[in-house]
Amino acid sequence: MLEIRDLHSFYGDAHVLHGASLDVRPREVVALLGRNGMGKTSLIRSVMGLSTPQVRGGSVAWKGEAITGLRAHEVAERKIALVPQGRRLFPSLTVTEHLTMLKPARNAASWTVERVFSLFPRLAERRNNRGNQLSGGERGMLAVGRALMLDPELILMDEPSEGLAPVMVQHLEGVIAGLKAEGLGILLVEQNLYSALAVADRVYVLETGRVVFEADAAAVAADPDRLTRYLGVH
Amino acid sequence: MGINLFQILNGLTFAALLFIVASGFTLIFGLLRIVNLAHGALYLFGGLVGYSAAQATGSFVLGTLAAMACVALLGVALDQGLLRFVRGVELRQVLLTLGIAFVLNDLGLVIWGGDTYTMPVPDALRGAARIGPLFYPKFRLFVLGLGIVVFAALWLLINRTRLGALIRAGVDDPEIVEAMGINIRRVFLGTFALGAALAGLGGAVGGAFLTLYPGADAEILVFSLAVVIIGGRGSLVGAGVGALLVGLLNAIGQVLFPELAYFVIFGPMALILAFRPLGLFGRTA
Repeated sequence: MLEIRDLHSFYGDAHVLHGASLDVRPREVVALLGRNGMGKTSLIRSVMGLSTPQVRGGSVAWKGEAITGLRAHEVAERKIALVPQGRRLFPSLTVTEHLTMLKPARNAASWTVERVFSLFPRLAERRNNRGNQLSGGERGMLAVGRALMLDPELILMDEPSEGLAPVMVQHLEGVIAGLKAEGLGILLVEQNLYSALAVADRVYVLETGRVVFEADAAAVAADPDRLTRYLGVH
Repeated sequence: MGINLFQILNGLTFAALLFIVASGFTLIFGLLRIVNLAHGALYLFGGLVGYSAAQATGSFVLGTLAAMACVALLGVALDQGLLRFVRGVELRQVLLTLGIAFVLNDLGLVIWGGDTYTMPVPDALRGAARIGPLFYPKFRLFVLGLGIVVFAALWLLINRTRLGALIRAGVDDPEIVEAMGINIRRVFLGTFALGAALAGLGGAVGGAFLTLYPGADAEILVFSLAVVIIGGRGSLVGAGVGALLVGLLNAIGQVLFPELAYFVIFGPMALILAFRPLGLFGRTA
């Protein structure tokens, strides 16, 4: 579904992705692991078509169509949604406005504000709060809810569990499993190996802008030592 | 000579005009981060276009609409034709808009010459209305009402519509708006056109009671800058409060300390900046 081939990206002269390649297949949760500064966020941003880093080589294909070089809104129009690192909610918008800023649903199967509220009842209680008046867990929920309003077929999630209490991380794992069951593909950037293994079908490890390890999550779970040496966890 | 109702009304009506012009300025600044020094020139050019259109059609309303449409188109052309090449580079934007101001003003001189023009007002708004013991020009009361209507309309647009939510989100974080599938450049362009149209509206109504003459652009620009700096960049409510302060201070200053009239405005502005560098309603970006 998503095919990234030999991607090279740059921040100015700084070469951050050195030929990264990976796939996300339909209905698959793929975890992208790696230590800080290894290029995970750069990869997500390159796929999304954000202005930095600049993609100067390689390709990204989505359902057979090359989407390299498209602008972010054109990528999003192809039903690829982003849960950005740090959530990046809008301080000037209420919870409801975060969910209604896109044009309303086009068909019966679409995500609606009510559906997001039933998935995250906490957000319904906070509907009139602004983006900067929420707890960490609520922020994470709203960032996911906002992405769902795009009716995505693929969600790029950049460390959605960052800064969350363990109970909230568990809740998020349940949400990701539920979205997968609905048929969404998810490319999940994670710092926490065990959280990633709880939801992912496959894992990739990125090191200095290249994929250095790829395996089924089940195989890694059976023998995590193969992976931990890349992540510096012991 | 003390302050009387007449001077207060003068201050309020001037404030209403300032708000109309400054709201466009602050809208463009808030979203696009462009300090548009051509805003005054858009005001004067719009006023002159409005004058000619009103003369040709005999209608104040058509003249005003022509002024708004012409300046909005001009704004779109400037944004797409020039400003897009210097996006994100603040100093170049400021210098570019200053250059645009010079060119527009000279263009105005070529087309209309250096004469003073007064936008003709409809008969219904000529003469004076009686307020208690006082006779006051109807047209200036109309401008006061128009300022209030523009404030209400903009407030509803920004705070109660989907487009307004997009504009606010774009002020907060344009990159994420883009990543949600919205062509933020189109939102920027629409906002620029709206802000420019407000300058044109100001030129048309200001041209009727302040008259249009070479240099009117710089005067209104300096007052608008004061309004936006006092109120806080990008804040609509700030523009409203700033316009009231500047309008009233200007009226009071002209009566009580005519030789210090500018100081009466810019002294308090400096004081506000010392304690609130972002203005009364300003927020950090």
